[in-house]
Amino acid sequence: MATIEIEGSVFEVDGDGFLSDPSIWNEEVARLFALYDDIPEMNEKHWAIVKIIRRNFDEKGNAPMIRMICQETGIKLREIYELFPLGPARGACRVAGLPKPDGCV
Amino acid sequence: MAELTKEQTGKGLQVFENLKDSKLLTHLNSCVHCGLCAESCIYYLASKDDRLTPARKVDIVSSVYRRYFTVAGQIFPSLVNARNLDETTANEMVDLLFGACTMCGRCTMHCSVGVDIGYIVRTGRAMLSNMGMVPATLQSTVIAAVETGNNMGIPTEEFVATIEWMEEELIDEVQNPEAKIPLDQRGKNVLYTLNPREPKFFPLSISAMAKIFFAAGESWTLSSRMYDITNYAFFSGNKNESLLIAKRLFEETEALQAKTVVLAECGHGSRAFRWEAPNYLDRKMPFEIKTSVEVIAGYIREGKIKLDPEKIKQSVTLHDPCNLVRHGGIIQEQRYILKNFIRNFIEMNPCGTDNYCCGGGGGQLAMSEYNDRRMKIAAIKADQIKATGAKIVVTPCHNCVDQLTQISQSFKLGLQIKTLAEIVAEALIID
Repeated sequence: MATIEIEGSVFEVDGDGFLSDPSIWNEEVARLFALYDDIPEMNEKHWAIVKIIRRNFDEKGNAPMIRMICQETGIKLREIYELFPLGPARGACRVAGLPKPDGCV
Repeated sequence: MAELTKEQTGKGLQVFENLKDSKLLTHLNSCVHCGLCAESCIYYLASKDDRLTPARKVDIVSSVYRRYFTVAGQIFPSLVNARNLDETTANEMVDLLFGACTMCGRCTMHCSVGVDIGYIVRTGRAMLSNMGMVPATLQSTVIAAVETGNNMGIPTEEFVATIEWMEEELIDEVQNPEAKIPLDQRGKNVLYTLNPREPKFFPLSISAMAKIFFAAGESWTLSSRMYDITNYAFFSGNKNESLLIAKRLFEETEALQAKTVVLAECGHGSRAFRWEAPNYLDRKMPFEIKTSVEVIAGYIREGKIKLDPEKIKQSVTLHDPCNLVRHGGIIQEQRYILKNFIRNFIEMNPCGTDNYCCGGGGGQLAMSEYNDRRMKIAAIKADQIKATGAKIVVTPCHNCVDQLTQISQSFKLGLQIKTLAEIVAEALIID
């Protein structure tokens, strides 16, 4: 099992750096994982995106469609890619503590 | 890893028993161990680890073949470097064939005696697939496709809602309510396909291609039942699953009576459906199959679309997806498109059929198990891009887009990564 250390906290992760146990996720984990991806501070928009992804995961066990993220937060599609430079999957879903989505991401 | 059962070993060896022709036999017996393939392989170049040279990958598969299918190998295995298919061998095969190969085919091109090394790697992967030893992350993508009809398990209603959303965006952008993203329409000229990552996470490439179809006046449709161009079973080596996935798109094309299937910008998916599927299905395709790269080039050539050369001011380079370029021979069309409107276009070195893989091919992007290695080999591509000085990297493959995005972030290159349709759509002149 791989681990990453961010600001003194150690997390068990998969090979791609996604949290091994999504149930230990909390807002502090999100903040640290974002920091690891060069997002020094999570703003309101980052939190809105992460919380919707997290809610969908808790309810349905997977990441929501990008359409749902945009329509529920009111954030423009192009802005999401700016907020999370690694994209909704490797960026936002990782910060939200989800397992890595399948497919070409 | 528990000890292999007899049944598992038997299933693995079946791959050799079921040979239809002598191709595999020839390639298994032809390596002369010259070692020239080493310098062509990004895994070797990035690590200088002899164990990762392509010849070693051929060797492990052929050593198992020799053990069970040659007289010398059956009687004196150690004298002819024949290996038992036990758990040590199988685990090493998993590590080398899944974990240290992007199936980019560069070694095959450079092989001094013409061994189809990529084919041997795929054969080895097929053995492991028969034995139930495909890395879990790759297999889960195959399972999602087989069970849900697309490799991200997107429910149909979610897909349809996304397409409707993209249609609104398109109408907004071209300022014309006639602009459509047609769904499930029969008898159209074109049935367009998608990589599921487009509707799920990156739908701008859908509206980009729709904008191009709109500008060209194309008669086209998407299918809500079968739009997934990917075929991850091609990576896992499982022929039954490859066939099942390819057959769905084949049947949907026939059901919708489309004249041409246009393949989304997806390297392996294009290869799996256009060049491999006739073998899976054992028949000639009764419809035309084209990549979107060829289709866009055709629109420019025929004057159906016009691009504004003032639009893209930054320098642009092109990444050649291995499956499209080295395996598929689609080499000049993407260059013809870019040179039509990009003022500052810079080629990578090497490029075209000799290009280096981005590092994400062969299913690597899906396999978290080998992430460290994937990002180490990525250094070669990062250096290649840096040397061009380009600010935008265009590539006609969604898988490469994702790997290049990670490369840009990890190596702090500050690049924009775009599909071909996206950059063309930006410069499109709408009358």
